[in-house]
Amino acid sequence: MAAPVLPVFVGRPTASPQEAANWTPRQVAANNLRSIVGRAYPRVRGLTREPSWLVFQMALPFLTTSSFVFVYRALDAPPAYIGFVVIGGAMTAFWLNVVWMMAAQLYWEKDQGNLELYFAAPMNVMSVLVGMAVGGLVMSSTRAISILVIATFVFGVSFSISQWFLLVAVFILTLAALYGLGMMLASLFVMWGREAFHLTQLMTEPVYFVSGLNFPVGRLGFIGALAIALIPLAVGLDAMRQLAFVSTGPTGTPDPATETLILVAMTAIFIGLARFLLQSMEERARREGRLTVRWR
Amino acid sequence: MSGSIQAPAIDARGITRVYKARPADVTALAGIDLEVAPGEFFGLLGPNGAGKTTLIKILTTLLLPSSGTARIFGFDVATETKKIRRIMNMVAGGEQSGYGILEAREQLWMFSQFYGLGAREGWRRVDELIDAVGLGEQRNQRVSTLSTGQRQKMNFARGLLNDPWVFFLDEPTLGLDVSAARSVRELMIGWRAAVPGRTVLLTTHYMAEADELCERIAIVDRGRILAIGSPAELKRRVQRESIFRLELDRLAGGPASLARLPGVESAVAAAGAAQGTEADPRQTVVVNLVLHDDAALAGVVAALDGLGAHIVALAKSEPSLEDVFVELVGRGFDDEGESGRPDRGADAIEPHEAGQQDPEGSL
Amino acid sequence: MALIDAGASATNRFDPARARGRGTIDILRSFRTAAALGWKMEANWTDPLLFFIYSVAKPLASALILVFMLQVIAGPAGQALRPFVIVGSALWSFVVSGVAGLAWAVLDDRERYRMLKYIYVSPSSFLTILLGRGIARLAVGAMGAGITLLVGVAILGVPFNPGAVSWLLLAIVLALGAITICALGVSMAAVCLQTRQESWDYPEVVVGALFLVVGAVFPLSVLPLPLQVFGLVSPLTWWIAGVRQALFPGGPSSIGGAGSLWQQVSGTLNPNDLQVVLALLLTGAVVTLGSAILFRAGEARAKDRGLIDRTTGS
Repeated sequence: MAAPVLPVFVGRPTASPQEAANWTPRQVAANNLRSIVGRAYPRVRGLTREPSWLVFQMALPFLTTSSFVFVYRALDAPPAYIGFVVIGGAMTAFWLNVVWMMAAQLYWEKDQGNLELYFAAPMNVMSVLVGMAVGGLVMSSTRAISILVIATFVFGVSFSISQWFLLVAVFILTLAALYGLGMMLASLFVMWGREAFHLTQLMTEPVYFVSGLNFPVGRLGFIGALAIALIPLAVGLDAMRQLAFVSTGPTGTPDPATETLILVAMTAIFIGLARFLLQSMEERARREGRLTVRWR
Repeated sequence: MSGSIQAPAIDARGITRVYKARPADVTALAGIDLEVAPGEFFGLLGPNGAGKTTLIKILTTLLLPSSGTARIFGFDVATETKKIRRIMNMVAGGEQSGYGILEAREQLWMFSQFYGLGAREGWRRVDELIDAVGLGEQRNQRVSTLSTGQRQKMNFARGLLNDPWVFFLDEPTLGLDVSAARSVRELMIGWRAAVPGRTVLLTTHYMAEADELCERIAIVDRGRILAIGSPAELKRRVQRESIFRLELDRLAGGPASLARLPGVESAVAAAGAAQGTEADPRQTVVVNLVLHDDAALAGVVAALDGLGAHIVALAKSEPSLEDVFVELVGRGFDDEGESGRPDRGADAIEPHEAGQQDPEGSL
Repeated sequence: MALIDAGASATNRFDPARARGRGTIDILRSFRTAAALGWKMEANWTDPLLFFIYSVAKPLASALILVFMLQVIAGPAGQALRPFVIVGSALWSFVVSGVAGLAWAVLDDRERYRMLKYIYVSPSSFLTILLGRGIARLAVGAMGAGITLLVGVAILGVPFNPGAVSWLLLAIVLALGAITICALGVSMAAVCLQTRQESWDYPEVVVGALFLVVGAVFPLSVLPLPLQVFGLVSPLTWWIAGVRQALFPGGPSSIGGAGSLWQQVSGTLNPNDLQVVLALLLTGAVVTLGSAILFRAGEARAKDRGLIDRTTGS
């Protein structure tokens, strides 16, 4: 059967497959960066096409945070504790983004049949995960900002910040470490299969508790110390509280500068581990044939 | 290309794949040897469960073989995955992948970024491909609202984004209606014809599709290649006689008069065809003629004149690829053997290693 | 191979009786099957120990967060409030499970398993199947809540006297509360039928918002008066208060108290058992009716817009 040769089908940019296969480091980097943008695109577009999140991610989470504010009010707690709850509520948004939109996401991509297409493409799958995170940041940031702003005005929270630069750096490092952790978990979840969905449940309230989401983590003693060493949310939250409410005095936890260094180490370790685990996961999934299993 | 000796587009040697399962491990591939030259349109034909998809997943770097090696243009599928992913693409039939909330155009652009195209270049290429595959009217339609055929065209466009050197198609027309399947096949042919050297590996269980598209076919069953060759060569293996359907305006003495001719094994009235008689000469006489070989046809034609018959139509009957399969395996595509294992027919042909000559000379 | 329909008449004509169904028998069977399916999906993904840990960790952690908040601010003086917050927190985790269970059944079946359309076109009632699927999560939530209360009594110092429990009140409010929670779950299911895949956390967000006004972990009297109104019209408020009054009669009330809207409206400090039951019945009936209407409207909208078999990943 003869078919018309369409112009778009004509032409080939390289002379040989060997030439086409060997990319320069610059091409590899550009591909990975473009993939981040590519994967973030559906997340961002999805937000504009289905606006229900404006209610569910902006208005309602503020009410949840308010519950804990009223608990402290019922106990006549010092005003700074209201601020603690508000910052904790805001950071919840990013933690949930990590858990739902990153950690569990590759598993869902496998369910939908997209995972094999990702692995068959030349970019690093870490770019895909970062893209998911970046795309989800719009919703998470909106949720966090709305909680912060509304709660600050409604409950009259007053911040006393002396080191703005350090506060911003801690926030950025906390996000970086969180997303590194999310990438690590994403690879584990692909291998663990159905458990992944249930394990995301384990990673909400239990993590909130050991991270001191609504109270200073230093009050947890040894558990708190362990959390500061292992969970970016715990150490980042504690550092941000210390920087945002300088007047509250010692908390029984390391000072913000030390916690910043902990975050730097966490970021490096989690991202490094994520890279290793994703490669191992891919290797193992290819060996065991799990990249394309869709039946649950 | 440019006069250089190129590695085979696909070179698989001794590929096996065993899946761990309960109660017993499943051997999906039991030793596959395959070589596809650059620019070839190669088909893997076999029933469901033959191992076609498993082989394609190994070749597209999604699965590791349990043993054996495979190379795509010289790059090892086990260790040089990134290089292979830059020069190949794949499209499977029955795919439900994609993000329903995106438009078709956006979905494709996202993948263009994964394949290294620049942002603007990606949009341009996506728009060109959308028009080329006939999705122009659906370009701004959400993926979740596309019909099966439209979605598959979109998938096909995705597969062409990076202009692959090797294009893997895993049952690409599965579930498509006649018109959509024809469109997809035309796209495959048109794309490949545009630039020499484009290689396609197609897996299918549709005989007609393999027959129509493929230059060479490997018939696969239960994880093994049973035979490799062009469609014509494969059919010649099982056709030992020459069979013709002969339509005559009249035939004195009926088909029996032809059966007596030299070189004719049998001549019987064709089933289902209205047969003319001497009493009712308006209708033609249709005969299924089985000859020892094609050479005997000349003698039959010469004898017709003496019988007062004139040829209205003459057509040669060829066996189908399913006939080839049945001959090789002893059962049809949809039949299981009595023991659930492949039934080897008496003339079962052992698969030939790549490059080995067929002793009968047809390869 | 001939397919023989044993029920066909000699002339093979269509029997309209086949389209009639068997009423309650069909409903019960659908519910039972859906509940069994829901339980299998909830419980068979791991070994029993891990399943137990998973079922208990979340509600227990929720309770511990509040216990520590009390400890941080009130120290030993907060001991008296522990039963209040632990009971409220345990019950709330039950609410979360129940509401999320039905909503997630819709999202699961539509996005992951792609079975929703097949369930929908089957002769079984869609709502019945949804309720059956959600019951399993409700049961898991009940287990978690129960164990949290046990831990509260055994380890966290919640004083419990089984002899003082009002079992009748407990049975009534639990039954009415379960219906209300299912009704809320049906509402969320109707919402999730309209929204995209990323709405997994909507049920928890909605329940989290309700957490503010139902007196789960602090008395309503702490809230500004307008918010107390929301609390008093919510059946969950009366349910939690009813369970507290049944388990710990004479303990602090989440609805009443000095300066509360209840006191201003009713003239009494705290509602009695009968008032709690009647209020729960009334508000629960309104919410259940509203949920049924919302569900039917949501279902009709989804059918009209082709949402039942769509996938919406991003």
